Amino acid sequence: MEEFSIVYRECYPRVLAYAASHAGGRLAEDITSETFTIAWRKLDQMPSNALPWLLGIARNLVRATHRQTTTYELTDFPADDDFAVIELRAALASLSEADQEVLTLIAWHGLAAAEAAQVLGCTTATFFVRLHRARRRLQAALWTPKFDSARASWKTS
Amino acid sequence: MEDILKDLAQAKPPTPEVDSERLERDLARIVTLPREKPARKLFVRRFAPLVVIGAVIVLAVVLLPAPPQPVQPAAPPKWWHALTRQSQIMIVGDPADPYAVHLDSKTDRWLAANQQVTVIQKEGDVTPFSLDRGNEWEAAGKPETVPQVGGTHSVRIGPMKPAVQKTAVSGFQMSLHSQARFDSLESLPADPQELKKALETIVGKDTYRIGSLAMELISSNVRADQRRAAFELIKTLDGARFLGDVTVHVERAGIGVAIAAPPTFQFSDVETQLVISKETGLPISKRDVITTSQFGLPAQMPISEEEYLLLEEVAFEPIVPQDVPVNGEVESPIIER
Repeated sequence: MEEFSIVYRECYPRVLAYAASHAGGRLAEDITSETFTIAWRKLDQMPSNALPWLLGIARNLVRATHRQTTTYELTDFPADDDFAVIELRAALASLSEADQEVLTLIAWHGLAAAEAAQVLGCTTATFFVRLHRARRRLQAALWTPKFDSARASWKTS
Repeated sequence: MEDILKDLAQAKPPTPEVDSERLERDLARIVTLPREKPARKLFVRRFAPLVVIGAVIVLAVVLLPAPPQPVQPAAPPKWWHALTRQSQIMIVGDPADPYAVHLDSKTDRWLAANQQVTVIQKEGDVTPFSLDRGNEWEAAGKPETVPQVGGTHSVRIGPMKPAVQKTAVSGFQMSLHSQARFDSLESLPADPQELKKALETIVGKDTYRIGSLAMELISSNVRADQRRAAFELIKTLDGARFLGDVTVHVERAGIGVAIAAPPTFQFSDVETQLVISKETGLPISKRDVITTSQFGLPAQMPISEEEYLLLEEVAFEPIVPQDVPVNGEVESPIIER
């Protein structure tokens, strides 16, 4: 139990951040709580590096939440962000969910490629391929007119 | 493109504040919940009779007199399997207002003594992109083929068709050096200077060709000491630059070396960089980067790259796509204008 408590306190903020970025702040705490409840039940299966495993559980819960609800909570970003940041978020939002997930696991959640691959349930090599393509598509979204429509939709949301 | 993840990190949304009260309250609740019983115990209880039956069968088989051994077929050949991803940037369109295409594909190469099987243009794609955030390709009516700038061919936009090539050659053929074929890789020297002499007998005293062949050997099925010798050889070539610790593709860390490369038909001031794993000596990435800004692309931008996704010795036959004719016509994205 002591080991679980250590992992819980250490990983809670990162699981919460993951849940917030994928399901919004309102649902984030509930998803985080449920993630650790499942982790407790399956404590025998918890690996020594628990974070990717926990994020894998959180990911399943986020997806289940999306299936159950037809409207997603929109994440509020600070209004004083500079335009380059707004541009980048809009370009990111124009990508598929799968691409967004690959990119944000590295850039926002600070996972190593092998850890991110574990969250997504794929090999590290596959992850590198997906990351390469997602980066390319993000770059393309920034450089093509598609980005403009994404930016417009972001601005109205 | 390397920096886009760093830029994205800057665009990270604010992290929600942790409600310490809820954190502790949830923890107190969670640890009072029942845990799943270890699956092992349930498994043993449920399948114990089957285990006993299995053990009896195993004992019976072991105690029975062994039948005469049938003649075993010859052991299958061992293949060196290399899965790589190639990407390349090519400048296209109107020379006065050019844009670029990104060619991206994977290659599966299986190499054994006297045989070679290659699947090229796997998951290949050619994508246009602007060099200055314009929309030249769209403005040109999204043509299916676009002319190379400074070249005599055109490039076909869109997905590539994979092709399978099988060849029977004598010895180990190096893919980038048509004249380099080794009867045995085992006999190559593991001393850098001796190895250099051996390679000079094949490609002459041309520094770039020696370096390029040494790089190819590093990705071949050679021993670890031969691989180390090849890397040390490259470091000692005229003009070679040791890059120290290098990280490519975000998380693939290694050490690198660079040698000046001849200009391509589109880019001058090019160098070839090889990054290998410190631990295994296996290559991670080989790429040509421009050392000066050209066509609006910044210095140190890779204009072509081969990333090594998998390098392994296997004892099974090459896996090739079934719906692709062997040694059929290759529909290259680079076509006659």
